[in-house]
Amino acid sequence: MKTVHLTIDDKSITAPEGTNIFQAALDNNIYIPGLCYHPKLSQFGGCRLCYVEVTERKQTRHRFACAYPVSEGMEVKVNTDEVNRHRKAVMEYLLAHHELACPTCNKSGECGLQNIAHELNMSPGRFKTVRMSAPVIRDNPVLELNRNRCVLCGRCVSACKEIEGVGAIDFQNRGFSTVIGTAFDRPLDCSFCGGCLAVCPTGAWQDRTLGFSGRPWEFESVQTICSYCSVGCTIVLNTKQGSVRRVVSNDKLGINEGNLCVKGRFGHEFIHSPERIKTPLIKKDGGFQPAGWEDAIAVVSEKLKQIKEKYGSNAIGGIGSEKCTNEENYLFQKFCRTVLGTNRINNMPNLKSPFLNDLIYKSVESGFATDSLKEIENANTLFFFGVDVTEAIPVVGCMARKAIKLNAANVVIAHPRNVVFKNTAKNDVRLTYSLGTQHILLNAIIKVVVENNLVDLKKIESLASNFRSLRSSLENFSLSDIERLSGVTPEVIRRAAELLMKPGNCCIVYGKDVVEDPLGEDTMKMLLDLCALIDVSNRSDIHPGKVSLFSARYHNNSQGVNDMGVVPEFLPGYLDINNTANREKIEKLWGVRFSENIISKNSLNLVDLGKNGNIKSLYVMGADPIAEHPNGKEARECIKNSEFIVVQDSFMTETAKLADVVFPSSTFAEKEGTYTNTGLTVQRLNRAIFPVGEAKPDWEIICDVSKKMGQSFSYVNTKEITEEIKKAAPVYSSLSYDRLKRKEFHWPSLLSAKKESNKYTFYAIQVKSLKVKGEKEFPFILMTGASLNHQGYYSARSKALVSVAPECFIEINDRDAKDMQIKTGDMVMVESRQGKLKLRAKVTRKSPSGIVFVPDAYANTPVNVLIYQAHTPVKIYAVSEK
Amino acid sequence: MAETNLKSEKKDELDLSKTEEILAKYEGAKGAIIPILQKIQLEYGYLPESAIDLVAERLNTSASELIGVSTFYAQFHLKPRGKHIVKVCCGTACHVKNSRGLTTKVHQKLKIHKNETTEDKMFTFEEVSCLGACGIAPVVVIDSSVHGEISPDEFEKLLDEYKNTNRE
Ligand code: SF4
Ligand code: SF4
Ligand code: SF4
Ligand code: FES
Repeated sequence: MKTVHLTIDDKSITAPEGTNIFQAALDNNIYIPGLCYHPKLSQFGGCRLCYVEVTERKQTRHRFACAYPVSEGMEVKVNTDEVNRHRKAVMEYLLAHHELACPTCNKSGECGLQNIAHELNMSPGRFKTVRMSAPVIRDNPVLELNRNRCVLCGRCVSACKEIEGVGAIDFQNRGFSTVIGTAFDRPLDCSFCGGCLAVCPTGAWQDRTLGFSGRPWEFESVQTICSYCSVGCTIVLNTKQGSVRRVVSNDKLGINEGNLCVKGRFGHEFIHSPERIKTPLIKKDGGFQPAGWEDAIAVVSEKLKQIKEKYGSNAIGGIGSEKCTNEENYLFQKFCRTVLGTNRINNMPNLKSPFLNDLIYKSVESGFATDSLKEIENANTLFFFGVDVTEAIPVVGCMARKAIKLNAANVVIAHPRNVVFKNTAKNDVRLTYSLGTQHILLNAIIKVVVENNLVDLKKIESLASNFRSLRSSLENFSLSDIERLSGVTPEVIRRAAELLMKPGNCCIVYGKDVVEDPLGEDTMKMLLDLCALIDVSNRSDIHPGKVSLFSARYHNNSQGVNDMGVVPEFLPGYLDINNTANREKIEKLWGVRFSENIISKNSLNLVDLGKNGNIKSLYVMGADPIAEHPNGKEARECIKNSEFIVVQDSFMTETAKLADVVFPSSTFAEKEGTYTNTGLTVQRLNRAIFPVGEAKPDWEIICDVSKKMGQSFSYVNTKEITEEIKKAAPVYSSLSYDRLKRKEFHWPSLLSAKKESNKYTFYAIQVKSLKVKGEKEFPFILMTGASLNHQGYYSARSKALVSVAPECFIEINDRDAKDMQIKTGDMVMVESRQGKLKLRAKVTRKSPSGIVFVPDAYANTPVNVLIYQAHTPVKIYAVSEK
Repeated sequence: MAETNLKSEKKDELDLSKTEEILAKYEGAKGAIIPILQKIQLEYGYLPESAIDLVAERLNTSASELIGVSTFYAQFHLKPRGKHIVKVCCGTACHVKNSRGLTTKVHQKLKIHKNETTEDKMFTFEEVSCLGACGIAPVVVIDSSVHGEISPDEFEKLLDEYKNTNRE
């Protein structure tokens, strides 16, 4: 892009051609007043405040900075008398009917209108003032709208439409009666991302979770990482007197550009929930007794030693956490492997999809997963496969919409349900495949790519091996077979294949519905094969592009817990534990000798072992297997079979209820450390408040327990643990804890160098078809998945989120509902061979006929009591409310 | 969207097949929002909520956006309108010639205010500002017939006539 030279107020600057004056000034820290322009949003030009004097080709004129592009040699003056006279006049109009409630307005101190009024040194205006007194709209749990403070800058309208894709609000009426509002003045019913609140320059939108609990200048601000989903948005905690009062966003920090979802922005109340566990608890006579740390640790140490002596170390199991930090998980596996002497450790995501670690590593090595999530914004084609982006990783949706807006990206979405992804892409292809046929669908796409020569086959043959087998794997099904099985027409498959192979950047995000399917592993391998085809066709000089593959993990640190080796197969950093050299390296680092059982045998997983009675004691850190394991019944059996259970958590989870000792752990706001997000980016947490009650960060608890058990882990802070991780895990070796303060670290960067030398070998998977059908007695198939509004027991203790979504529900297809005479709002019983659950019905077209959907994110409604296999058949019948 | 409103939704129970037909006609057409809204208004006399929601769903936009558009133009109405539209001119000339007396009559007789519709959906009352017929002020327009130099009592009679013809 060409660069243009210009001066603003005699300061020489440069800006890319096509930039408007306002943005050029912003980029160079030059102040131009303005209320409607926002770098994230398309230009509106409504407030008329950014009036400046522009001299161009010897002509001096006045222009609106946000609506006028820079040009070579341009001279801009921001503060002439004429300009200021104009600006003051505009402000006079704006203030003439403004509420001027600054003393009681929460925006005071960070308000665009107030700032400009001060900047221009405004005094009482010439106009008769007519203060508006429209009632404040409080029709939803998180946002309030005070139209008397609105300057009609339109930012909220654009944010809602362009970034969130929702369009819940718009200008209503015209002339003097123009207001911001919803259709028919209906209560705001949207995704509650708070984007409107974040971009509003005035106090019109307010955060109801803040209430009147603090003013902007009273807050301390701490930048940290959201503790919900795996996107890893940067949030800023505003604290006052040691408590978190609200969450705000900062467009300049992190990967999310200030965009957040409802959980990240409004779901912070759990931090100070009265339900927090505040002291250690020891179970006595069936009930919990508060105890001191000393006593509780003594009990744990004593009991664990006894178990070890009686049954051997292998009788102890450890479950790590997809919510805790990398440092805590690293320490946890070290504790299990050395102090407890067991390798029977695992974590929730690995229990669900044990093949995933290998394949993610493989995709990094092959050069397909080497970019951070931000790369999505550069996409030309977006492919979402088996993931409900809007519900599971909402801010990735915002990134995708940015790619659609800026690069006119195309969208391909493959999912068994009609998932909602609001966007304005010109091409938005939906592959709604029958459950169980993801395999066939992918095979069909590859088939079209190869058979229609959408890629240079010669090039493929020279750059990758095993292509012949790939070809022969495409012969089993014809496109019409595929249509019959998967329900997707050849035409749509062709269009999808064409979009995927289009030159340019292709970003693929796959999720739960792929990896938790019984054919998940094979599907993923096919996906890698597809990536290889896209990759090769993108290696061109004319249209260079790349392919980026992302695994939509569930929790904030589902990736990190695996990176840290809280799995039986790997030491930290995916070092094979059965490899002697790896073991020796870690033994040396830790100054220990592993006992013989610290190896991975291809045996049953932890929950299976527990279910069979082979685990006598379980140590659980920051996880709730009873609620989170796909099969709730088995997890409960596993826990119940244990004689002694230790849980570290912030809340009394279903698992904690069965524990013998519970240690109170601090939440993300109370600790330091790092998380690794879905784009394999390591980001740093910063402590905002001291631990609530007697809670401690999980790593400190582990240090204390180890010390009592005779092996002291002497870390004084998390940084020391990070330093050790760098030595243990090769992929983390160039991480710098201090540098993380400024910039996130992306671990594939260390591996991608290898890529060029590696020739990709196609897996060439033989397609299987999996028939997923209901049974006579249980005619529906149950699908589960993420929810935008909830994610486990943190959100369940956040008042705002509970008010937004008070109750779990079951989605039933409208035709099925009609047959059963069920209406939205009716109570129904959902019953499988394993269990029953009462839920409120939501009649929808999102789930196809024959499939029902229940979110698995409502902590108080454990849908896993129903589940005993992937695609569990269920039946549904109406029941009364009570 | 939020999962707040799980209680069954009650909207106007409207025959949406006409809306479907209109949408079908414009399928695939870009920038057809205004003509679609016009056709719907022609069909139902106003823009019904459920029709708007359906249009929003089909056009991949939001109801708020559609209402934003339609409240910008005076031609669209969001509430059902009466069979007869009674317009009383309140421009300067008519005001001087006692248009206030005419509007008061409407309040008394029909029990409706500006921009409201009688319960029996017979009359909708609008105040307009200057119809360009100041020479015959005060002016009332009912549907498309113009009544100039009208006194409140004559206006009352006129309204009665409309009422009675409709009863038959
Ligand atoms: S919260 Fe988000 S979705 Fe709701 S109105 Fe604001 S910007 Fe739109
Ligand atoms: S509510 Fe705020 S962002 Fe929206 S138009 Fe008014 S001032 Fe602008
Ligand atoms: S839950 Fe996920 S998308 Fe939402 S703010 Fe947190 S990290 Fe971002
Ligand atoms: S910032 Fe330029 S018109 Fe508002």
